[in-house]
Amino acid sequence: MGNVNPKVTPIREVWVESMSSPESQKLSIVPLHPSVFGAFPRVDLIQENHKWQTLYKHIDWKWLPTRNELPGTTRKPWPQKGTGRARAKGVRAPQWKNGGWVVGPRGPRTYFYILPFPKRVKGLISMLSAKLAQDDLKVVDTLDSIPTDNSEYMEELCSARGWGPSVLFVDTSDLFPRNISLATHPIQHINLMPVYGLNVFSMLKHETLVLTLDAVQEIETKLLFQLRRTDLWDVMSKIKSSKTLRM
Amino acid sequence: MSSPTEKALHLLRYLPRVSLNNLSPNPYFKKKTYKVGQYRPREKINKSNRERLRFWPVGYEGGRVPFYLKIPIEEYYKNHKYRRQYPPLTLFQLQLMIDNKAIDPEEPIDLTSLCNTNFYRIDPRFNHFGVHLTDEGCNEFRAKVNIEVQYAREPVIAAIERNGGVITAAYYDINSVIALHRPMDFFQKGEPIPKRMLPTEDAVEYYTDPKNRGYLADPQKVEEERQILAQKYGYKLPDHSRDPIMNIRKDPRQVFFGLEPGWVVNLRDRQILRPTDPDLNQYYRD
Repeated sequence: MGNVNPKVTPIREVWVESMSSPESQKLSIVPLHPSVFGAFPRVDLIQENHKWQTLYKHIDWKWLPTRNELPGTTRKPWPQKGTGRARAKGVRAPQWKNGGWVVGPRGPRTYFYILPFPKRVKGLISMLSAKLAQDDLKVVDTLDSIPTDNSEYMEELCSARGWGPSVLFVDTSDLFPRNISLATHPIQHINLMPVYGLNVFSMLKHETLVLTLDAVQEIETKLLFQLRRTDLWDVMSKIKSSKTLRM
Repeated sequence: MSSPTEKALHLLRYLPRVSLNNLSPNPYFKKKTYKVGQYRPREKINKSNRERLRFWPVGYEGGRVPFYLKIPIEEYYKNHKYRRQYPPLTLFQLQLMIDNKAIDPEEPIDLTSLCNTNFYRIDPRFNHFGVHLTDEGCNEFRAKVNIEVQYAREPVIAAIERNGGVITAAYYDINSVIALHRPMDFFQKGEPIPKRMLPTEDAVEYYTDPKNRGYLADPQKVEEERQILAQKYGYKLPDHSRDPIMNIRKDPRQVFFGLEPGWVVNLRDRQILRPTDPDLNQYYRD
């Protein structure tokens, strides 16, 4: 952490807690990099990331038929003149009761788009900074030390420490230890996630974010690399070419 | 509580938790909304003087720019699309890149080294023909480099030679620039390395002038000019005869260091292919 002036950017430190008992035992203090955990909280970018995460998978299945797609003939229902009724050319014309839609929604429509890479990076950083600023970020030494696979233990632990209703545990590998996996499986609002799955939506959804020490190191390394890289043009150019995806 | 970041993060402690029900879009983003009747392009709704059989204003010349507006002509950007451009790079930026180890001063520097740093970029599509080294930061410049640029003025030449370096002004035609500024993209095309063309008529005078350290100038005259410049600016000129790095220069037809025109670089199989046909070789050597 070279070029940090502590008078301008106070050094952020968090307690490292243990998981071996429901009550928190503070083991040590670890510093967090200000560029990742102490950046300006761009709430508009958080909103954009959330919108992107929900919208890019969205498919609108609405489809309304045109007049030629509806059942019925093209026969003129009654002669042009003499009947006293309005002139009519076809039974499925748009002005008719069961007629076709002229310009209606046409089939599956995709809302797919890729949010620009720098916005996604800044979104993650803003969310992590907001979590830390609002005391919702907890650091834990390891998740191995949980003694039982009882889900009541996990609930007791979270309530004793005041961790919010929903908790997200983040570790480096996607294979978690046996006890915590079995304990959190029946509880829907306590979830486990590897570092590569960390995203803005999950951080918004879960009140408390619990990181292991290894996860903190990996997140810092990865995000600092993305902040300092100079070849984002090459990264973005590949994404731009995939933007014109149509269903 | 000094920076806006700290103030914002402190403010967050007193605000509700950032959550799914707290999100709102950026209010400064302009949303393009069409009002009723605005979606289609405007039809013609106004009649001109012609349609109303009126007199035009005094000086009107049938639609072209009238004399009283045209004179005096200020053609600052005339033919700008067809003229060569050299995006500037300051000596200060160059020193910063060397200090941050983005550029190695132990090797000759050319346009490729500068573009590989990703801190300096050119785009041949906008008629960028190379780098123009400017004198901002000439007092802070301390590195000893063998640098090849496309345009540099006298103070810049003095600043580099004062530190024991060597500067050359070299011309690259647009195909050579395309190859040079992104070499990996060029090699992936699988095209033979182009033969660098000689400067155009308007540039020949610049690149054959020893005062500009042109690559087509007589080396002896260049040496004389170095002595003259050292006397003018008042520094002692070091001797380069034994320094191998400072004596590396490109051939006037050469684009890349260590590669000749006509060769094909095969990145996949890690091979370099040379033409065997004598006519081709003759063409590339001329």
